[in-house]
Amino acid sequence: MGNIFPRWTNLIAVKLLVCLGALGTCVIAVAWYSWTPKYTRVGYMPQQPIPFDHSLHSGQLGMDCRYCHTHVENSLHSNIPAAQVCWNCHGTGKVKSDSPKLEPLRQAMDENYENYTGEPIKWVQIHKTPDYAYFNHSVHVNRGVSCVECHGRVDEMAVVYHAEPLSMSWCLDCHRNPAENLRPLDQITNLDWVAEDLDKDQFYAELAGKTGAKAEELKAADEGKEWSRELIGAHLKEAWQIHPPQDCSACHR
Amino acid sequence: MRWFFLVLAIAMVATIYAIGPRGEKFSDPPFELFPDMDHQYKLRPQEPSEFFADGQAAQKPVSGTVPLGYSLPHAGNDGNTGSDLEYSSGDGYASTGQFGDNYGEGYPKEVELTPALVKRGQERYQVFCTPCHGDSGNGQGIVSKYWAIPPTANMLDARVSAMPEGQIFSTITHGKGLMGPYNGVIPVKDRWAIVSYVKSLQAASGN
Repeated sequence: MGNIFPRWTNLIAVKLLVCLGALGTCVIAVAWYSWTPKYTRVGYMPQQPIPFDHSLHSGQLGMDCRYCHTHVENSLHSNIPAAQVCWNCHGTGKVKSDSPKLEPLRQAMDENYENYTGEPIKWVQIHKTPDYAYFNHSVHVNRGVSCVECHGRVDEMAVVYHAEPLSMSWCLDCHRNPAENLRPLDQITNLDWVAEDLDKDQFYAELAGKTGAKAEELKAADEGKEWSRELIGAHLKEAWQIHPPQDCSACHR
Repeated sequence: MRWFFLVLAIAMVATIYAIGPRGEKFSDPPFELFPDMDHQYKLRPQEPSEFFADGQAAQKPVSGTVPLGYSLPHAGNDGNTGSDLEYSSGDGYASTGQFGDNYGEGYPKEVELTPALVKRGQERYQVFCTPCHGDSGNGQGIVSKYWAIPPTANMLDARVSAMPEGQIFSTITHGKGLMGPYNGVIPVKDRWAIVSYVKSLQAASGN
């Protein structure tokens, strides 16, 4: 009786396993790389109805973020400005008021304009937490977390894009170790702030005011330590008693 | 086997080419792998809504009603509740800067002139006023460096320095000339804080 199976079948099981393994590895590699907010959200740069240039307004003119996003310190929602705020500077007879780029603004605000509709400008939302995640802007900006930590260098963006993943693990990274992302409250909207910008004596004096310790003692205790975001943030964390919640119900309430 | 790996390699290269690197700019709404409850049927701030006729989630108060905590507008009250000092339509001095048709001198009784108020005023001034009026109040803000718009008021000159507090408050509230109204973006109390800072700028300049 001859062999039922030809010779090439000896290795077929091994070969199949190797091929399936290689295929599976490739699929997992692609998924690992691209099925995450680092890939799906970072870089989202939709076209807005008016090509508002943050690098001009915030960067070049040095306008404060809160000129337009007025309620960020008081509200869980950081508002998109009403058309009235645009109109303060770009109304009839003011800055660039006849630019074709401002067509939607004129439609919303200029009652004498032939295409006036009174409809709000339909800005496209870029940063969005899922509806089951609670996020409060005011509690962050009032405790030393700058706009830049989540939104990137908006003052350098001609067109705003999604700069950070805003994923849950990304949130938790900071909630577990917030010190390096904290800064004094008067620098919240200064997006290019670095530790070296801070006046040491003033910082320790204000810190002493908050904690009741002596400024000289605080300064002496830090002698020899590197002057860094971590050091400043560690002090602020203690002074403000910041304990970022890490339990589920903090955000999923 | 050899063929399999060749095809797999080509497929991988094609996939990597198609999906591109992380952080690449794109304009379509982000792909959601599990959109489970990301978008719930609820109203969120400043979002559109199919529920209301005007298509907006945020609704204005029904006409004839007053939001909780606010006092009735123009009903002879002086508009002094806590919320009125945020965004008020009351007709008291604190919300208008006027007694009848005249601008008032000094600060309303709800607003105490303290160093903290002036400090707050400085911060708010630098957010809202600096672009046009300049850091020092001389009307040479950065806007005047770029665009030829009619000159901005120099708040240090004799004319503005002679204005009573109520008039400066009223100007912030309603705007004047090319300046638009700021009553929608600066709460009442912050407007008084800005008045106190403007007054201190004028004092520092000797007027």
